[in-house]
Amino acid sequence: MMNYLWGGLILISMLFAVGGDLYDISRDTYQNSEEYLLRPETGQLQVLNNQKLRLVLEAGDQPSIEAIYQTNGQRARLQLKYSDLYPEQWKHRFAGDRDKSIHATVVQVSTNELKVSLPGIVWHRLERMMQSAFDMAEFAAKLALGLIGLMALWLGLMKIAEHSGMVNALVRLIRPVLKKLFPEVPEDHPAMGAMTLNLSANMLGLGNAATPMGIKAMEYLQELNEHKDSASNSMCMFLALNTSSVQLLPPVTVIALLGVSAGGLFVSIFLATLCSTVVGVLAARWYARRQVTP
Amino acid sequence: MVCPQAGDPVNQIGIVVMPLLVAAIVAWGMWKRVAVYEVFVDGAKEGFDIAVRIIPYLVAILFAIAMFRASGAMEFLFSFIGPVFEWFGFPKELLPMAITRPLSGSGSLGVLADMVNTYGEDALVVKMAATLFGSTETTLYVLAVYFGAVNIRRTRYALQVGLMADAAGAIAAVIFCNLLFT
Repeated sequence: MMNYLWGGLILISMLFAVGGDLYDISRDTYQNSEEYLLRPETGQLQVLNNQKLRLVLEAGDQPSIEAIYQTNGQRARLQLKYSDLYPEQWKHRFAGDRDKSIHATVVQVSTNELKVSLPGIVWHRLERMMQSAFDMAEFAAKLALGLIGLMALWLGLMKIAEHSGMVNALVRLIRPVLKKLFPEVPEDHPAMGAMTLNLSANMLGLGNAATPMGIKAMEYLQELNEHKDSASNSMCMFLALNTSSVQLLPPVTVIALLGVSAGGLFVSIFLATLCSTVVGVLAARWYARRQVTP
Repeated sequence: MVCPQAGDPVNQIGIVVMPLLVAAIVAWGMWKRVAVYEVFVDGAKEGFDIAVRIIPYLVAILFAIAMFRASGAMEFLFSFIGPVFEWFGFPKELLPMAITRPLSGSGSLGVLADMVNTYGEDALVVKMAATLFGSTETTLYVLAVYFGAVNIRRTRYALQVGLMADAAGAIAAVIFCNLLFT
């Protein structure tokens, strides 16, 4: 399932970017072949290499453009810095980067005007997409490494909690509740013990410690199961509790990601998880009553 | 006494609960004669392992989401289904989280990280996403592991129940975050 979602995400993005770019090309959205006439702001145009020019765009009353004239004998170009005053078509060339400078190719020079063409924008969606994909890959590793400290802190604390018998304290609390939820399991059956331990560890966010216990519990439940290849009502109830499990503490990773501002989440996570558990339990009971034959 | 930083009760609980928790865990550990320092260090070692272990998952999901967003596909999708969900008061920014949460634990952690990065850690949608993340388990993974362990092929209604609980968790996350944080 995750495979389809992930693959689909990438393929759909690709289709969208290519489609958008093809649309831009066919409509010439960025007017790539357009040439612009520039006039000197004052006097005549005498261009030397690396000379700073003040120019005005011929069309309309555009404000002055500051550019550096560069030539290597055969090819002449203008180096343009970003300005808020440029027309929209020009601004697109900077791709939102105000520190970037672009080079306009000088097509023609005469004494009182300069004809230039701007660098074309093609496949810019694809380019931007790939750029942000690379950026994110870099960010992901930095993020994970940045989490080490906080994760270590909380995992250390949780280890203390584990060693000081917090799980056992919870077991005493939830055992009476479990008796009501699993009428098919005898009270002294080892399945009960394994389930209580698993759910207690889950409530404290000790996922790694919980899973082996949960598997053990499933094996015990399988002993009680009459149809060995089909899930029993107890199993479904157990998994309903497991997937929606009440969380007394936010997951370690959430605390690590959100830092101190995760504090308020203790309350919201507890309430939301209570809701999901109640819904899970009610749904499991409803199905168990409705589907008499397994 | 005027306390300008105090804020509402939920924030106060948030500020108080973490230091209290830290102190309580350590105090209880000492009461039970646990070698707190050594055990802490032992547990903290796992921090590095886990952080390194999640890197591939984070890269996979963050880069796919980045592509999806930069290509304009996300905007397109949101413009269609966003209004439907917003009409019910369900923020559209939360959809990626609600979809990935039952499927993949590390994947949804990536989504959460992406949201923190995009919207900032104090944004309401980020709190909702974190609440959603914390309130449910990776349903499909849990079913696969537990049923796989005892060779059960007919899972009957277990998946439906799990997904219903997930949906309830998502809705509850939106409601409670709206109540608590606004």
